[in-house]
Amino acid sequence: MSAVIEIDGLRKTFHTLRHGRRVAVDGFDLLVEAGQVHGFLGPNGSGKTTTLRALLGLVRADGGRMSVLGARSPERLPEVSGRVGAIVESPQFFGNFTARRTLRLLAVAGGVPTSRVDEVLEQVGLSDRGDERVKGYSLGMKQRLAVASALLKSPELLILDEPANGLDPAGIREMRDLMRSLSAAGVTVLLSSHILAEIQLICDHVTIISRGRRVAAGRVDEVLAGFDQHEWQVRVAEPERAAELLRTLGLAVTAHPDHLVVAGVEEPELISRTLGEEGLWVRELVPLRPDLESVFLELTGTMPHPVVPRQVDGSVRPDAGPDDVVIDLDARENREVGA
Amino acid sequence: MNLVRAELERLSARRFVQLMVVLLLAAFAVTAATTLAGSHRPTADEMSRAQAQAAEQRSSMEAAHDRCLRIKAGTLAPDVNDYVPGDCSEIDPVRMERVPVAADFLSGVFTFANQARPLLYFLVAFLMLFGFLVGASYIGADLNSGGVVNLLLWRPRRWAVLGAKLGTLLGGLLVLSAAASAAYLAVFWLIGQTAGLPGRLDGEFWRSLGGTYGRGLVLVLLAAALGFAIATLGRHTSAALGTVAAYLVVWELGARLVLQIVGAARPDQWMLSSYVGAWLTGEARFWDSRACLGDTSGFCDNMYTLSWAPGLAVLLGLTVALVVAAFAAFRRRDLI
Repeated sequence: MSAVIEIDGLRKTFHTLRHGRRVAVDGFDLLVEAGQVHGFLGPNGSGKTTTLRALLGLVRADGGRMSVLGARSPERLPEVSGRVGAIVESPQFFGNFTARRTLRLLAVAGGVPTSRVDEVLEQVGLSDRGDERVKGYSLGMKQRLAVASALLKSPELLILDEPANGLDPAGIREMRDLMRSLSAAGVTVLLSSHILAEIQLICDHVTIISRGRRVAAGRVDEVLAGFDQHEWQVRVAEPERAAELLRTLGLAVTAHPDHLVVAGVEEPELISRTLGEEGLWVRELVPLRPDLESVFLELTGTMPHPVVPRQVDGSVRPDAGPDDVVIDLDARENREVGA
Repeated sequence: MNLVRAELERLSARRFVQLMVVLLLAAFAVTAATTLAGSHRPTADEMSRAQAQAAEQRSSMEAAHDRCLRIKAGTLAPDVNDYVPGDCSEIDPVRMERVPVAADFLSGVFTFANQARPLLYFLVAFLMLFGFLVGASYIGADLNSGGVVNLLLWRPRRWAVLGAKLGTLLGGLLVLSAAASAAYLAVFWLIGQTAGLPGRLDGEFWRSLGGTYGRGLVLVLLAAALGFAIATLGRHTSAALGTVAAYLVVWELGARLVLQIVGAARPDQWMLSSYVGAWLTGEARFWDSRACLGDTSGFCDNMYTLSWAPGLAVLLGLTVALVVAAFAAFRRRDLI
């Protein structure tokens, strides 16, 4: 598959008089290939939006190489901008304009046929409210309008920063369906979001960033598999005796008040057969698979603590060494960026 | 071209622009209505009286000039009421820019030839304010609201986007200012024709008024570009407003006072307002406390002149410098 977005060693440091020097992105890598719906995850302040802004030429990178649809960014970005639809954070629109007029102006400015306006309004579910002024819109409606503006160009690549922000559950579902239909139509989507369950449902690939560095990248199922400890939840009549038996097999068993957790088991038959042969009948045998949320919290070190409130900059910062990337299931060897 | 079309629509749809246009029309209407209400067409009797007064004034000026020449020639002894300048040509009515005319002695009669220039100055001042505020808010609001970012996602060419905005602003303002000024003068010309006096509207008058009109339009464009550039540099409309307020208070008032206290030579030449006046009126004269030091000719009025050329050079230089700085800063700036 061809690379649609390539970021290699991106660095960005902000300098302000009040807060001094703050490293936002520190040698970050990202690879998005054609046809992917790629989730881009990270805690608040981890550098997601800075990365997207740098990629789209809104922020000047201090180092690293980036390319979009094969064109070096930001130098040759204008050559491919007509094929890229993007929203970064929550875009603001002119409050006195209607959604239809807003989109028409963008279409005029970008040389897109204005007939696309009605199509995208329909696509994001705003066709009935398209003639209302934007200042009367809810956050979710503004978000839909933002997505509509990104779709206006019929892009090959769609970059969406928190598109589900402010959407109600039905809106989130519609957004998910929209992403799927776009992906089915061949559009590559890079999606930044905090809603991990959504990412897991929508995306086939994921990259996780923490404190400006990549901590995981690859297919979603493979990233999750990397954290699978092959644990099983077991409910049985005599848990103490059952634990004893399983430990004799060399398995790690953790006892909980009403169940056991057995780790390191590839095949569940081992548990059921071992216990059954000793007359202990298993009432429940459930695999404990890691979800994206638990992986995310573990990788970024942002697991909530019952007593200590987590600080925004309290996430994990991976070491800078070249071999220290935690997981990289999909990195390609010797790739050329910006060719 | 598409970008300019879109920007023009955005500019014209801005509430602030619409409000300022309404204020312009209101000021226009109020001025015209009060002028119309306060003016009448002079009767033949009023006219002949005014003509007689003007003629009397002119002849007394000629007599004073005559007396001056005779006093200088030694054929007449001066009395206490005589004003005898160093050079009698100074009071020669023939050499004067303007001699009394009947219109000067008509009360409650609007005379277009006399009033056109002050009316135009008022309109230019309003349009300068309009241009500055619209220029500053146009880019300031867009930078703040994310409108510029939206546009750059579509057209990732920073200079083109900023240039289209500035070009649209200046182009739109030029058309609006030119049309408004022409309409404004036409209305007052009509009032002069129907409910007052047109006055002496010869070629020289129209040439001079046209010059003021053109220079006024240039000032309006410079004010708009300045507002746009300062707001771009400061990323906010209020940056432009604050800069101008600070300049007026700290420099035009404060520094002027200090310069006067320390007896600095020609403090007015350090003030932008002097160059605005010089450019708009063609030339401006200012007091120089040291101008007559060592003068033995006996003819020195302690004044010096700033002509339109340095006025234009200073204003244009400042504006170009700020616009270049704004474009350079915008090109490198992180839009976060």
